[in-house]
Amino acid sequence: MEKMSRVTTALGGSALTGRTMHCHLDAPANAISVCRDAAQVVVAGRSIFKIYAIEDEQFVEKLNLRVGRKPSLNLSCADVVWHQMDENLLATAATNGVVVTWNLGRPARNKQDQLFTEHKRTVNKVCFHPTEAHVLLSGSQDGFMKCFDLRRKDSVSTFSGQSESVRDVQFSIRDYFTFASTFENGNVQLWDIRRPDRCERMFTAHNGPVFCCDWHPEDRCGAARGGSGRVARMGAGEGCLRTCTAEGGPSPERRPLSVSWTSRRGWLATGGRDKMVKVWDVSTHRAKEVHCVQTIASVARVKWRPECRHHLATCSMMVDHNIYVWDVRRPFVPAAMFAEHRDATTGIAWRHPHDPSFLLSGSKDSTLCQHLFRDASQPVERANPEGLCYGLFGDLAFAAKESLVAAEPGRKPCAGDRRHPIFFKRKPDPAEPFVGLASSALSVFEMEPGSGSMSWFADTAERYALAGRPLAELCDHNARVARDLGRNQVAQTWTMLRIIYCSPGLAPATSLNHSVGKGSSCGLPLMNSFNLKDMAPGLGSETRLDRSKGDTRSDTVLLDSSATLITNEDNEETEGSDVPADYLLGDVEGEDDELYLLDAEHAHQEEPEYVLPQEAFPLRHEIVDTPPGPEHLQDKADSPHVSGSEADAASLAPMDSSFSLLSVSHALYDSRLPPDFFSALVCDMLRFYAEQGDVQMAVSVLIVLGERVRKDIDEQTQEHWYTSYIDLLQRFCLWNVSNQVVKLSTSRAISCLNQASTTLHVNCSHCKRPMSSRGWVCDRCHRCASMCAVCHHVVKGLFVWCQGCSHGGHLQHIMKWLEGSSHCPAGCGHLCEYS
Amino acid sequence: MFVARSIAADHKDLIHDVSFDFHGRRMATCSSDQSVKVWDKSENGDWHCTASWKTHSGSVWRVTWAHPEFGQVLASCSFDRTAAVWEEIVGESNDKLRGQSHWVKRTTLVDSRTSVTDVKFAPKHMGLMLATCSADGIVRIYEAPDVMNLSQWSLQHEISCKLSCSCISWNPSSSRAHSPMIAVGSDDSSPNAMAKVQIFEYNENTRKYAKAETLMTVTDPVHDIAFAPNLGRSFHILAIATKDVRIFTLKPVRKELTSSGGPTKFEIHIVAQFDNHNSQVWRVSWNITGTVLASSGDDGCVRLWKANYMDNWKCTGILKGNGSPVNGNSQQGNSNPSLGSNIPNLQNSLNGSSSGRKHS
Repeated sequence: MEKMSRVTTALGGSALTGRTMHCHLDAPANAISVCRDAAQVVVAGRSIFKIYAIEDEQFVEKLNLRVGRKPSLNLSCADVVWHQMDENLLATAATNGVVVTWNLGRPARNKQDQLFTEHKRTVNKVCFHPTEAHVLLSGSQDGFMKCFDLRRKDSVSTFSGQSESVRDVQFSIRDYFTFASTFENGNVQLWDIRRPDRCERMFTAHNGPVFCCDWHPEDRCGAARGGSGRVARMGAGEGCLRTCTAEGGPSPERRPLSVSWTSRRGWLATGGRDKMVKVWDVSTHRAKEVHCVQTIASVARVKWRPECRHHLATCSMMVDHNIYVWDVRRPFVPAAMFAEHRDATTGIAWRHPHDPSFLLSGSKDSTLCQHLFRDASQPVERANPEGLCYGLFGDLAFAAKESLVAAEPGRKPCAGDRRHPIFFKRKPDPAEPFVGLASSALSVFEMEPGSGSMSWFADTAERYALAGRPLAELCDHNARVARDLGRNQVAQTWTMLRIIYCSPGLAPATSLNHSVGKGSSCGLPLMNSFNLKDMAPGLGSETRLDRSKGDTRSDTVLLDSSATLITNEDNEETEGSDVPADYLLGDVEGEDDELYLLDAEHAHQEEPEYVLPQEAFPLRHEIVDTPPGPEHLQDKADSPHVSGSEADAASLAPMDSSFSLLSVSHALYDSRLPPDFFSALVCDMLRFYAEQGDVQMAVSVLIVLGERVRKDIDEQTQEHWYTSYIDLLQRFCLWNVSNQVVKLSTSRAISCLNQASTTLHVNCSHCKRPMSSRGWVCDRCHRCASMCAVCHHVVKGLFVWCQGCSHGGHLQHIMKWLEGSSHCPAGCGHLCEYS
Repeated sequence: MFVARSIAADHKDLIHDVSFDFHGRRMATCSSDQSVKVWDKSENGDWHCTASWKTHSGSVWRVTWAHPEFGQVLASCSFDRTAAVWEEIVGESNDKLRGQSHWVKRTTLVDSRTSVTDVKFAPKHMGLMLATCSADGIVRIYEAPDVMNLSQWSLQHEISCKLSCSCISWNPSSSRAHSPMIAVGSDDSSPNAMAKVQIFEYNENTRKYAKAETLMTVTDPVHDIAFAPNLGRSFHILAIATKDVRIFTLKPVRKELTSSGGPTKFEIHIVAQFDNHNSQVWRVSWNITGTVLASSGDDGCVRLWKANYMDNWKCTGILKGNGSPVNGNSQQGNSNPSLGSNIPNLQNSLNGSSSGRKHS
């Protein structure tokens, strides 16, 4: 808090110096006021009334006005004001309704001058006339405002606020006779001091009490800047006031009144419990709201900042202990914030009427602070000027402050930008009325379809076959899908899996012929480079990277250890045996389907054996209206067809764990390695895909291979993959695929996902009462409840119904019906709503 | 490959946050003008504002969507020291006919005494929880015990960070092996405040969040922090927006090796650090697979970062905020000026990167 910076501001002859500092008071302060020499400040509270000298480094207590042995309620101050013309004259408002004036020029210790005991209740505010030496105004909780002439013993005139409590009174700076008063019912009244019978004007400013007001001080500066001058109705007034203050002599320091003003000089700022500060133009016939600032707590004090025509300072009486300085043109974000106080700030005052950098404040935390504007924290500076979010399909939403986006290219040159200069157009924004107002440009960068957006994910998920066919077919199918989508590495992986796990005799000869005959793009000699090319982008799952590869990195040497595993695997396949290698390359075109017809027929007969085990699934009779799955197959399913060929291939020399796959693979392959041999590699591969963010591949392979690899990956990891993939699928609204994955998973935690909350509570469409028992017949009216309202047949399959009237029917029928009518097809008159 | 679609947001002050929903079809924006707007994507890809309402009495810093399983629910946080939870009301009304939807406030979380700088819903598997952080350095974690009742939130944890917090991120991993974890960034600018990123982890035994790690190397104010979507990875990736973009990996050390019950130990590596924005980086955001990071900075550009097969992160594209194209590839020597085309050239990203050296 103790910042050592010091500021000197020259104001004509005198100069203000100081720093951000604070001093402890003995008691909470209720109000503060500054002497016109800007070197002293008076602090008043329930049990404090002191004058402090503001020195460069500290506050120095100068005078304690609270004298006398027994404390008097007259000294319990709600407000204090120091006369701006007379350094010796102070007035306080007491909580017991007394208005006291103080004359510092009195030689005695007790400086009390006059005592006015006219108000019945707490006086909330006292205010000296800005130019008249002896005129004092008070506003009280009892609903009255009183004007005192300090040369008389009692009030000159009383103004009635119609029984509403007065929270603030302020003499106008513009108009000699005018003052404003604010009320607890939200009204603001403008009075002519010569006419105590009724107010000149009244308007509702706030919702709830108006705690404070402040006139714009522009003409204190003396210069009428920039505004078109207008002649005031002035002149005859002084005599009138003198009639009020009949016996008094002419005031010694009467200043010539300015007779022209800018439009701003009729501005009145008001603050209320509704957390708003409103700026009113009262120079016109009707008070017009020109600005509205939204603060975060009720506004207890408002003070225009000197020399900054759009700035005002506010503080709150509860919740918020900070002082804010607002630029009324940017009504949502404070320009500056002072957070020194630990309890509610009760009084704020700018130290000098022509100096914008020093603000004094008193608080309930018993401190008096001087704030330097340049030490203030600036929420605007800390506020984040940009928002950025990655969308599902790779699109990006980006909102940025316009000045950042539209900045000239040379503003902050960076290496990249200098090399490629950027050209922008600054679009003038007609909605930007002030320079100070900030706005943001919002745009969404969308991926063009098919250009590497996430659509590959959805396509892959939908087209992959995960079960229901022989392993070889699944692998081939999935490889084809991957290749179609341009994901060569993934396709390669599927093909490899097929080779590893399926009997090599399944299709080798035909596929060899096939690939040679077609002269497919990759000949055998290119084998290595082809593999490498596919490997290179492999780390990313994004296919768009793949396309640029072919020409650039066929000779890249792979060093990365994680990639080496796969490379070895590739090489092993390709070097180990020509036949599967060719097959690997040839498996591109659709003709494969024909080739497989042979096998497919053969496979069809055995298909039940390929069904993945479903023992993880409890019966679902009550959910699906179909007979339970073929459980009788489950026993067989545990030993799938391929295991047969695995078994006879299992004659193998013991494997040395440290041998190089690459060097000996030829021999090994020839002697038909058991698929178990690869399972460690395959598991590593699955982990590799998962670590690279392609959990789709990991889960798909896991499901397709089933028992072959499952045991080698710990349950927790599998579950993690499953939940991640299911979450992704649901993001893309691929509910069917997601459910299929749930069904095919063997992890108990996953497979129970679609067992939860499967109950639907429906009403009978005839009697409209809840169906209690399961089945199709309502217990109460003994009629079939699931009749289609359109075709009057019993619905089997997709049944859609309105939750309002319980009528429904075949999905197709209802959809068709609703195209023509929004009423219920059953004729019940209900306006059905389907979502 | 990107097409910029400019949207007239019509916010009256700065937009501080943009957020897509779970399915990427809705978008929420929040602004200093104290309002939140919800945008829905139409069939032809246009974004339409379907709701705009005043949410707070101060700048709204962040807005975030809950998982749709809990309904159409938004949370916002503000300078006015509160966070709020909003729910969209369905039903026939005039609003609906005009294409407008209606959002109601379900709760206001008023525990903070200072500006609430971030709010994030926890990953779905943890239930309906949200975390807020505030400028006085406290992270608060709330839970709605009944997911059907969005107006009941109980304050479960208060974590003191000792530093003014600016951003939080939940670890999205759904693995049982990863206990709930939250990373907190601070934009405290006082010179004696050192490490600006702290990571807290839930301890099953004490049922409290305890500090697991502090990233000592991040000493500049942090504006945004984001865990990458986990998707089955065994380790975590954390992106940090400070005066530059940084990417860290956190590999949990095997539980058996650490003393049981204590916080998980992590092997932390910085895998990338880019100062291409030349100034403050304000936002980082991951794509859904956690493979591409987007960052935005004071230069008004969005830059995309992606790892190549060497785990070597490179810039793969630059997007200018006002929609004008910028050629990507400022990193590599082989410049490929294609000004005028609307394509930040993503394919160049790996060209010439074969001499891969690791950032560290």
